[in-house]
Amino acid sequence: MAAAAPSVFLLMVNGQVESAQFPEYDDLYCKYCFVYGQDWAPTAGLEEGISQITSKSQDARRALVWNFPIDVTFKSTNPYGCSDEVGEAQPETLSSDCLRRAEPGDWGSAVWPLNGSPPSITAVLPPVPSPLLLLQDPALSQGIPHGLTPALSFEGPQIVLSVYGPDVFGNDVVRGYGAVHVPLSPGRHKKTIPMFVPESTSKLQKFTSWFMGRRPEYTDPKVVAQGEGREVTRVRSQGFVTLLFNVVTKDMRKLGYDTGPPDTQGVSGPSPPQGLPR
Amino acid sequence: MAEVHVIGQIMGATGFSESSLFCKWGVHTGAAWKLLSGVREGQTQVDTPQIGDMAYWSHPIDLHFATKGLQGWPRLHLQVWSQDSFGRCQLAGYGFCHVPSSPGTHQLDCPTWRPLGSWREQLARAFVGGGPQLLHGDAIYSGADRYRLHTTSGGTVHLELSLLLRHFDRYGVEC
Repeated sequence: MAAAAPSVFLLMVNGQVESAQFPEYDDLYCKYCFVYGQDWAPTAGLEEGISQITSKSQDARRALVWNFPIDVTFKSTNPYGCSDEVGEAQPETLSSDCLRRAEPGDWGSAVWPLNGSPPSITAVLPPVPSPLLLLQDPALSQGIPHGLTPALSFEGPQIVLSVYGPDVFGNDVVRGYGAVHVPLSPGRHKKTIPMFVPESTSKLQKFTSWFMGRRPEYTDPKVVAQGEGREVTRVRSQGFVTLLFNVVTKDMRKLGYDTGPPDTQGVSGPSPPQGLPR
Repeated sequence: MAEVHVIGQIMGATGFSESSLFCKWGVHTGAAWKLLSGVREGQTQVDTPQIGDMAYWSHPIDLHFATKGLQGWPRLHLQVWSQDSFGRCQLAGYGFCHVPSSPGTHQLDCPTWRPLGSWREQLARAFVGGGPQLLHGDAIYSGADRYRLHTTSGGTVHLELSLLLRHFDRYGVEC
């Protein structure tokens, strides 16, 4: 059984930052970037982008259209199988075989008894040399059987958006931050994500920021992809951005992941967001 | 090689202030993709709708691709133009959308934009017609250098595309 023994899976994401609704603001542009855990690595495409400045349509929709492309491919080394030594083992006996034969050094902390609970630290995994972008004939690929996949913290990629526009003096100020996880199930996904800006916490800061005409901003927009430290922040939500993703995965099923049926919810609706999501 | 059939129609457009609309379309793919049959670009009829807001083109698309890689999944780029009573054409919107990656029938709504230009150009466009256009069409479907543009929103182009995928499972690709 030489067939199909991948050690990484691929997540190809394309789509667009489609449009936005910001009732109070106009002439906005959008930056995006991706945030991901250490088991993920981009292999192709662009990880960040800056859109054009767009003005509202003159009709009743008042939509801000960017129609700005997203195109990126990630690989995840996370579900790494057994080491090469057990490459010739029979697939039926693999999961137990792996455990018995593997050297502790080869596995780091990624080995745990089958009935035990996974360790919470991330294993140090060897780099994976692989021509990832081509569809290889599986029969040709060198087999690394995957009896056991130590699924540790996933930290799948998130897209972080920040929207900027001019204030009354013409200076660029932030009009919203937002983030959402990249969908992991294949198919077409439309996401409308709320956008918010941080607020000053003290009255004095509020006054000085009003007086100086400078809004509080995050020094690193990527904090909106994290859950830590949120309890001390005050924000104001003031708009929505609509994103469209087409997701294709490679070898995820072979590694034993089930991503569920293709999700096409909310795709067939009209393009710019119709006000607030339910 | 894995194969993709894209079969469908550019149905029409809504939300444009101009009447008598037509659409120039094209398909852009990565280097790993090969068009086995079908035409890569085209132009629709000019429709002046007498009822309702939607201009109908019902323009057929039938493409058959073979691919060696996932990179450069096909994208459709669209240019919506309006024709006035003298036969002059004026840009109404640019837009692109990726061909969906999952099999089945998809209703796509592609929002459009057009370059805004200086206030002089905006004024001239409102009274005389014309208006700024892109010199190079690749800015429609690529994100590079978009930040130089100042645009405004146009209407929406509606497409219906059906996808047939072949042999993707052979390569472990889940669509």
